[in-house]
Amino acid sequence: MGSTLRLYLTCIRNTLHAAMCLQNFPCQEVERHNKPEVELKSSPELLLNPVVICRNEAEKCLIETSINSLRISLKVKQADELENILTKKFLRFLSMRAEAFQVLRRKPVQDIDKEISELKMSVNTRGRLVATEFLKQFI
Amino acid sequence: MIVVAFCPNNNEVHIYRLDEDKWEKVHVLQKHDQVISGIDWSAKSNKIVTASHDRNSYVWNLEGSEWVPTLVILRLNRAALCVQWSPKENKFAVGSGAKTVCICYYEQENNWWVSKLIRKRHDSSVTSVSWHPNNVDSSCNNINRREVPSIFHLYKRDSKKSTSSDWKFGELIVQLDLSSSWTFGVKWSPSGNTLAYVGHNSMIYFVDDVGPSPLAQNVVFRDLPLRDVLFVSEKTVIGVGFDCNPMVFAADERGVWGFVRYLAERKPVSSGSRYGAQFSEAFGKFYGQSKQGVGNDAVETSKTRGAVHENCINSIIRLGERGILTRRFSTSGLDGRIVVWDLENEPDLLEL
Repeated sequence: MGSTLRLYLTCIRNTLHAAMCLQNFPCQEVERHNKPEVELKSSPELLLNPVVICRNEAEKCLIETSINSLRISLKVKQADELENILTKKFLRFLSMRAEAFQVLRRKPVQDIDKEISELKMSVNTRGRLVATEFLKQFI
Repeated sequence: MIVVAFCPNNNEVHIYRLDEDKWEKVHVLQKHDQVISGIDWSAKSNKIVTASHDRNSYVWNLEGSEWVPTLVILRLNRAALCVQWSPKENKFAVGSGAKTVCICYYEQENNWWVSKLIRKRHDSSVTSVSWHPNNVDSSCNNINRREVPSIFHLYKRDSKKSTSSDWKFGELIVQLDLSSSWTFGVKWSPSGNTLAYVGHNSMIYFVDDVGPSPLAQNVVFRDLPLRDVLFVSEKTVIGVGFDCNPMVFAADERGVWGFVRYLAERKPVSSGSRYGAQFSEAFGKFYGQSKQGVGNDAVETSKTRGAVHENCINSIIRLGERGILTRRFSTSGLDGRIVVWDLENEPDLLEL
């Protein structure tokens, strides 16, 4: 892992550490409701300033905090087509299991980068294996 | 004997009693239908008042072996957020998400508690209320608000007994705008001379001579923000919050407040925890397995936080009756723990 990536991830980690000071907070607008204020944005006093952590054009992290909720948006590097496909697949993987991944709303998901490169490697390996198997027929 | 009432983050209040080193659940109070946001137990009259996000509040009275609820006519249209008995325990104050504060008192003929609304509205939800020790005079409450600094309202309550009846009910004494962030956990010192509250910007504020010309101090600390404070003496304050470890603040002879130390020594967190270990731990969470054991030097950074509590501490309550000095208190946290602390075990703090 490159040292610049490490700095970037540490920065995200520390920001999240401070941003995750959340608490239960009922809605001020609708009675008997309890909603994530960061999504609702009904009361400006309940929102904090959003933070953007940016490594380069392709890799950014946006952290928006409110009194009872936190939203993290990550932009993952998509340097080539394979990474592009992997990111799409990973996104699909996450969104299809959104119910099961409750933790995604609160915990760092900074491993995406690593996961993508790992996936890329495994796809490459698999591709090589398949090709070898395929070529074996002709030997 | 220690008896503790707490809300396990649902609509019930559980009461536990300590019997020979074993905690035993003795009562479950069920009446609310949303999460309970505030509990206060009066020491002298032995009543429990609860406030909940379902906009209601109940006063519980022990009759025989059962806790019987009495209705409180709050007339709130938003969640009740905090509640506290007055020092004489004949009234209580409820802060609400409706940006108002109610003062409630008992009405004999109807056998219910009625509320009197403080007319002046706050700009946002009232996150905590605290009574001045003189009971009849003032209650103080606390608002979360950003941009425009946080606001404090102090109210005088008119009373026939009080000689200073030139104040009308619900009149604003002073607004303090020291903090530019959300504020929580407002408390008066035992004598009522000093007011302490915390901001979400990792600061704690001390205000002396609350009145027309208040004297304010703030103390910045390095850790995550606090949620609640408690005066254990006139010059010592314990603060609890997101840092999972109670902090002690004290004033020196000149009355200058400062941070003293943590109440519990935290376990040494090895700063050189391997990065890879952190990753595998995060991956473990991802896959729902515990991969924390990877490598013996893998320190779970997220877990070794406080020494006693492992998550944010929500509240700190004194044990025993109101007095000048508090020696024992309890803290409760989001990790599901309630810890009873005794300052007799901390000799250096007793000298403060």
